[in-house]
Amino acid sequence: MDDNARSQPQAHAAIVADGLQKSFRSRTGTVDAVRGVDLAVEAGTIFGLLGPNGAGKTTTLRMLTTLLPIDGGRAEVAGVDVARAPREVRRRIGYVGQAGGADLGATGRENLLLQARLHGLAASDIHDRVTELVDLFELAELIDRPARTYSGGQRRRLEIALGLIHRPSVLFLDEPTAGLDPQTRASLWDHVRALRSGGTTIVVVTHYLDEADQLCDTIAIVDRGTVVTEGRPHELKAALARDTVIVQPRLGPEEVAELRDHLARAVPSTTAVVDGDVVRLAVDDGTATLPAVVEFLRREHVPIDGISLAGASLDDVFLAHTGRSLRDPDPTGSARR
Amino acid sequence: MSTFASQTWWLLQRKLLESWRAPAWIVVALSTPLLYLALFGPLLNSIVGAPGFPPGSSALDIFVPGVLVIVAFGAGMGAGWTVITELDTGVLERLRVTPASRLALLLGPVLRDVVTFVVPAIVVTIAAQPFGYHPDATGTAVLLVLLSLLTIVVSAWSNALSMLLKDIGSLASIVTGLQLPLTLLSGVLLPLEIGPTWMRVLAHANPLYYAVNAARDLAQGSILTTDTGIAFAVVGALAAMTLTWATRVYRSAVA
Repeated sequence: MDDNARSQPQAHAAIVADGLQKSFRSRTGTVDAVRGVDLAVEAGTIFGLLGPNGAGKTTTLRMLTTLLPIDGGRAEVAGVDVARAPREVRRRIGYVGQAGGADLGATGRENLLLQARLHGLAASDIHDRVTELVDLFELAELIDRPARTYSGGQRRRLEIALGLIHRPSVLFLDEPTAGLDPQTRASLWDHVRALRSGGTTIVVVTHYLDEADQLCDTIAIVDRGTVVTEGRPHELKAALARDTVIVQPRLGPEEVAELRDHLARAVPSTTAVVDGDVVRLAVDDGTATLPAVVEFLRREHVPIDGISLAGASLDDVFLAHTGRSLRDPDPTGSARR
Repeated sequence: MSTFASQTWWLLQRKLLESWRAPAWIVVALSTPLLYLALFGPLLNSIVGAPGFPPGSSALDIFVPGVLVIVAFGAGMGAGWTVITELDTGVLERLRVTPASRLALLLGPVLRDVVTFVVPAIVVTIAAQPFGYHPDATGTAVLLVLLSLLTIVVSAWSNALSMLLKDIGSLASIVTGLQLPLTLLSGVLLPLEIGPTWMRVLAHANPLYYAVNAARDLAQGSILTTDTGIAFAVVGALAAMTLTWATRVYRSAVA
């Protein structure tokens, strides 16, 4: 971090992080969960932190939202230094954690009223603001019922309303659509986009590729505690200049792995990975490579259920930068933070 | 900006509503001390006059203040259970990202526990009188203040401990593991004067022992005694220490 960065605050940056670090001590030693994360989030955009479980996304988010002390580096959120003025940061941000945070025994309205009061909303403003959010998130019919009785999607809407009660300029959402059905997800994304139109900056932590791809304006891909690449999803994919040939053989797991090895030798590919029961070959030019793959499979009499060609996905971007697939089970087995 | 006092009040109100909506807890909170009175009190009648029983006092004059200490202690012990539930549901995390005072976040549940001590305590004090309990009114008021401080100590400790442990199993074993020796070594059920010397010596390391001694003095109207002074000093100092520590845990908890 140099003095230059400090003296020239980026006018449109809602979040700036320089070299954020966090370690946890465990029985087996020290775990460096976040190892120098740099971020710059433009105001009024949806920013995604994408990565596998245990990558350090949530730990980063927890530092930015004042929930965890910062071990190293510094962060500014909504123009305020997080370590120096955590309370000022809390006034300016909304936060919806993985677990959600609704008080399940209380009614939706009681939840909203308490949150409004703790944020110091004027008594005259509280009623209007609650009504406004209840309408916006279509909660009118259930607002006086205990939150315990809500469906997953209803509860998520209440929790986002809780995060927005004080009209924060930055809203943090940690895995906002985990466990929701596709329809509810899509409707939640619409709500998030509407917030962006209203000028709110939204930071979304996700391990869902489609969420990062379709919802976020900019994403940072996080792996093992660092940002491996950052940019607009379509630019990240375009920069790869890469296609994927997906072969679905009718084979057992060991034979699929064997086929992967053979294909990697037979066809000019950047990487070849087994993903469930399919082999994914990352290639520079799919239309040129596909015939060679087909020819190889025919010659070797490999029984196949399907073969297809796909453009680059964010998973390919992740693979290109880390050598692993986001779909792989978490190799370290570390708990989500 | 809402003030510290109003934040504390709103957070206390949330907790009181939670208790109010759990009738089972209300029944247990009220019935536990009454069961002690009904099912243990009568056993004492035959040993009135033994050492530790001042002449002229009834068994209940000795026993009820002890029961009140048990109630005060128990009211705070359970605090950690809801903390762990609220860590799991993310409620505490959400509250910690509001600008609310960390001490207010802690005092909401702690003061709820004080209420769940004071209400049954008053019920017991009234219910025991027809059966031979003769408390002094002023002394009882001071007694409730002292024991409220004890509830604050235990509740703040239980709150902070569960924030750090985050696990209901470890919490339960520590809490129940401490409850029995602390209770037995305080002279709550029977005066320690009838016990061996080593028990009486060991009891001095137990904060509850001082609370029990003072509680008996206060119930009989002896307010300005050495025992009362020591108890307020011990419990008051513990309250200040645990509240400071627990607030610090709320500030930085890796929850």
